Amino acid sequence: MNIFGPNELLKNVTDRNLCTGCGACVDLCPYFKSYKGKTAMLFSCTIPRGRCFAYCPRLEVDLDYLSEDSFGKPYGTDPLGFYRSIVISRAGGKFTGNTFQAGGTASALLYFALENGYIDGAVLTGRDGILPTPRIVTHPEDVLSCALSKYTAAPTLSAVNRALSEGLKKIGVVSTPCQTLSTALMRTNPLEENEFTDPFGLVVGIFCTWALDFRVFEPFMASRVDINTITKTDIPPPPAEVMEIHTNGGEALSIPLDEIRALVPDACLYCMDMTAEFSDISVGVLEDDPGGNTLIIRTERGEMIVDEAVKKGYLVVDDMPERNLMHLKDAAGSKKRQALKKAYEAGMVNTSEDTISYLRLHTETLEKIISRE
Amino acid sequence: MSYLIENRNTDYLLMGNEAIARGALEGGVHVVSGYPGTPSSEILESLSEVATERNLYVEWSINEKVALEVASAASFAGLRSMCVMKQNGVNVASDFLLHLASSGTRGGMILVACDDPGALSSVNEGESRPFARLVEIPLLEPGDFQEAKDLTKWAFELSEEIRNLVMIRSVTRMSHASGNVRYGELPHTHAKADYRFDGPLTDPETGPVISMIVGVSELQHGPQQEKIRKAAAIFEECPFNTYEGPEKPDLLIITSSACTLYSKEAIRLLDMKETVGILKLATTWPLPPRLIKKHLCSAEKILVVEEVLPILEENIKVLAAEMVHETGPVIFYGKNSGHIPSVGELNTDIVISALSAIFDIRHEVVSESFAKKAVALLEHKAPVRGLTMCPGCPHRASLWSIHNVLEMDGREGFVCGDIGCYVAGLWPGGFNTIKTLHSMGSGSGVASGFGKLKQFGMDQPVVAVCGDSTFFHAAMPALANAIHNNSPFTMIILDNRGTAMTGFQPHPGIPVNAGGETVPSLEIADICGAMGAKVEIRNPFDLEETQKTLHHLIEYEEGTKVLILRQACALSPERKDKPEYKMVVDEEICIGENCGCNRICTRIFGCPGLLWDREKGVSKINDIMCAGCGVCADICPAGAIKKKEVV
Amino acid sequence: MAEDLLKDPYNIIITGVGGQGNVMSSRILGNMLVGRGYYVTIGETFGASQRGGSVMSHIRVSEKSIWSPQIPEYGADVIIAIEPVEAIRVLARYGNPNVKILCNSHPVYPASVIRGEIDYPSPETIESSVRDLAPDALFTDATEIAVGLGNPILAGIVLLGAICRTGIFSLDRNDLHKAITQRLEQEQVKLNMAAFDAGFRLPGD
Repeated sequence: MNIFGPNELLKNVTDRNLCTGCGACVDLCPYFKSYKGKTAMLFSCTIPRGRCFAYCPRLEVDLDYLSEDSFGKPYGTDPLGFYRSIVISRAGGKFTGNTFQAGGTASALLYFALENGYIDGAVLTGRDGILPTPRIVTHPEDVLSCALSKYTAAPTLSAVNRALSEGLKKIGVVSTPCQTLSTALMRTNPLEENEFTDPFGLVVGIFCTWALDFRVFEPFMASRVDINTITKTDIPPPPAEVMEIHTNGGEALSIPLDEIRALVPDACLYCMDMTAEFSDISVGVLEDDPGGNTLIIRTERGEMIVDEAVKKGYLVVDDMPERNLMHLKDAAGSKKRQALKKAYEAGMVNTSEDTISYLRLHTETLEKIISRE
Repeated sequence: MSYLIENRNTDYLLMGNEAIARGALEGGVHVVSGYPGTPSSEILESLSEVATERNLYVEWSINEKVALEVASAASFAGLRSMCVMKQNGVNVASDFLLHLASSGTRGGMILVACDDPGALSSVNEGESRPFARLVEIPLLEPGDFQEAKDLTKWAFELSEEIRNLVMIRSVTRMSHASGNVRYGELPHTHAKADYRFDGPLTDPETGPVISMIVGVSELQHGPQQEKIRKAAAIFEECPFNTYEGPEKPDLLIITSSACTLYSKEAIRLLDMKETVGILKLATTWPLPPRLIKKHLCSAEKILVVEEVLPILEENIKVLAAEMVHETGPVIFYGKNSGHIPSVGELNTDIVISALSAIFDIRHEVVSESFAKKAVALLEHKAPVRGLTMCPGCPHRASLWSIHNVLEMDGREGFVCGDIGCYVAGLWPGGFNTIKTLHSMGSGSGVASGFGKLKQFGMDQPVVAVCGDSTFFHAAMPALANAIHNNSPFTMIILDNRGTAMTGFQPHPGIPVNAGGETVPSLEIADICGAMGAKVEIRNPFDLEETQKTLHHLIEYEEGTKVLILRQACALSPERKDKPEYKMVVDEEICIGENCGCNRICTRIFGCPGLLWDREKGVSKINDIMCAGCGVCADICPAGAIKKKEVV
Repeated sequence: MAEDLLKDPYNIIITGVGGQGNVMSSRILGNMLVGRGYYVTIGETFGASQRGGSVMSHIRVSEKSIWSPQIPEYGADVIIAIEPVEAIRVLARYGNPNVKILCNSHPVYPASVIRGEIDYPSPETIESSVRDLAPDALFTDATEIAVGLGNPILAGIVLLGAICRTGIFSLDRNDLHKAITQRLEQEQVKLNMAAFDAGFRLPGD
């Protein structure tokens, strides 16, 4: 992987509208800051090789290298990426009485991991009104206050950067696919620092097809409802085709998903990962079951934590029906194919060695994914 | 006792401005007003120091227009008065100036305008001289320091003779240069203000003082022009117009002001005393035609040496054209011939170049090899010193916050600038924040205009910055305009508690006047609130709070907003040599040029109190320069800069 | 009484950075010379340049009259530099092979150097550059002496003392005392006299 600096980041990501606002480059230094979902560079920085470039999930992402590093084999063609098992899950008996999004699996696992010392801090996304705000949490109870889903991009990784500079050593994080990809980049020690250890104790990826730009979403919402009264935002699993806005005033507001999709930023169309393929475990909605989650278990570490959580009553799991799995693969595969094709046609995949590429992977694998119908 | 009112029989070394002040005292002045403006400020300052002893009223007015009005009242009441300002101030005062020249004056009155050729301390090198001709009053220009004193005293007599104000024009190299001056007598004046107004409307001495009776221009304008003709007649015999040189010079230099000294020196260095004469004019408007004719007859070649516009040159050419049948044709050299530059200030070397070109000679002072060596060394070994804000300047902190907020806001917001030390916002030292710059108070007016362009698709946050003195001088009407017209811009008042750029003079927001007495002050926040703006006050040294507030104002607040960033200037009596903190850099923690900092403190923040140690790769505090404000500690990402309160 | 000048006008430049007491030093020297019966013309650049910019005072000493406040190019006879790089800057325009220069060795870094945009020349480079243009050059750390007396702004007065020791116009501490005693507070007068004396005592010619 070639590593350059902030100027190359600006040129290849920011200026091309590929930035997803993941926060990987934010709060590493005084130059990149995030405000209301947008990443801005405050002043010029002249460093030729920097962490901002190295951690950015839109720059020089060698999927084979990352896959070897995480799973011991090159990047494959499975729409869901590498996994050990896929189950249905929901928060266990320990959490009766709490409000969750869907099954509450992510919250339950982070709570468990923090309480039992697998992680010394959790980086989650809370909210300030309807603005998603990254939070660093060190007490298990505080995990639950960040329980609900957000549909606009949050710079969660900026809190990872801050947590690490504040001295936390084994972080748990709930991250979108692009953010998860960044954690995988971070784990490879790209700048070859001495005495480097894996800063993560548990990476929980969440399914994502898109994340809206807060600055577009806020006025869109404000024109339909008093945003100060919103308590929960939800997109129920298929076959529902709406976004539900719950308020503390009265009824829930239902907005047709088509209207929401019109707001999807361009950057999301270049993302080929729906299920956060480089996590320890990935969590998403469960078709036809608003109170459950799909849980993809990928790494040994992830598997171990899930097993322990189940044993101790923090999580309940069950077999995943074949039909749900097929639909999930279809959805994920479709996004992967479309995004990869779009990126490839834009000349952003496997560019020559001395240039900066968005993605790198074996040509055979690339071709198989793009051509599959 | 101030040396300005001593009376020893010896030479004093005075600045041109001090000489003018002494001249005013010798002329019996009683009321002096002005607005701070380089290079004029010392005139009023030195007079305020002797105000009690000499029974003077000295006022720093809110702006030059009001200053001129204040001085004119004294004149209407029969007292001698003087109003001082820089060249740009005349622009501000010009409306009243024109009407005052029309109404005429009673007690002798002088307007002193100090121009800045080369714009050494201004954002333009515009000229004040044309105003004299435009509003039809006499113009005088001293040619050295003794004359600066003598001419000022004489100007009061001239003013009372012609019953109109007189303009004295100085330049930086006269006002701020110093030379020998021998004092005259200080008069014992009887100062009794007596404004007579019961006489007929048509009598300027006893009736109301008015510019003009509407529609009857002959009654005022006619007499006004008569006054100019009278002045011209007086100027024919004026002892301050001098000639030095041969009776029939090969070349006659006609010059005025500081250019006199340059011309004199050029002639000395070229050893041309026998062939080149200098006609030094102290009375440059109206030109005395007979005197000019005499000299046009004595020479066939004339070089006019003046700074910036060819005003003297063209006025002489008009006379020359009218008198050609008497004088014979004359060849003119000057700006229009390209011998004297039309831009920038002059000096002896430029006059030498002109003379060398005219006489086709070469003048070499040092060998070519020396000159080449000198240029090479200058280029490579002498780093340039740009303008920078002082250590501990609150504007640095303010501009930092403004810059960061606009970047994070991300809607391409911009700042309309104004006149003051915060002009540094144009450059990297001020984080390139300012995007328009014109005259006093104009930033707010321009911002008010930008704020109304939404219907044409402009959706960017608009911010204006102005200082506390500038607010009073000219920005208030712009603010009222914005509020009344619903222009949603944010006015940021950088309130450093004084008129800092020009030497920290007071203004109506400060409870002290030119004489140091306690006086009522106007509270900026109250005025803005009363006008109807949404007002917030913050300390710019609290970066977080300032940024949070500004974000909120530009995002959520409707209408016109005012954010007052209040913190005294680092050079103010309040803060000078009184550091709040002792600063030190922990070199172990300093990240330096590495990823995570890239020495933001010295590379971007740029306070002269910080140093970059190249060898060690760390930042250090420059103890001699550091003002101890503590702000750099807040911008250090590693927490390596420590601040400790000084007790 | 005015003494015969070697050259009329005799041209002295005091240069430094805004805030170093350049103007104060030139006024004091000017007053000392007026006190001896000379015509003195001083030309200065200040205003915006106060904010960290280069400052120059041109002092013309004459028995005959006032001259241009700015010395013609290459026309300096003596240069007193309160800041070393300013010595080079002034020499480049106003120096000549015969000029005498007294230079403070203590640097004041321009903003561009602090920001790392350009290098500040090493003391050796400065000294050799100055001597290249002006063989008759003397260096001393006047700021160190001034700080020792309590205020770095006294560096200019220290240098004045040093230059007076060369016998220029036969000025001595009495001329200084006469020039400042009516204009400054007693404390200030004492400090300035001490600074002058310290400079006067410096070795070298």
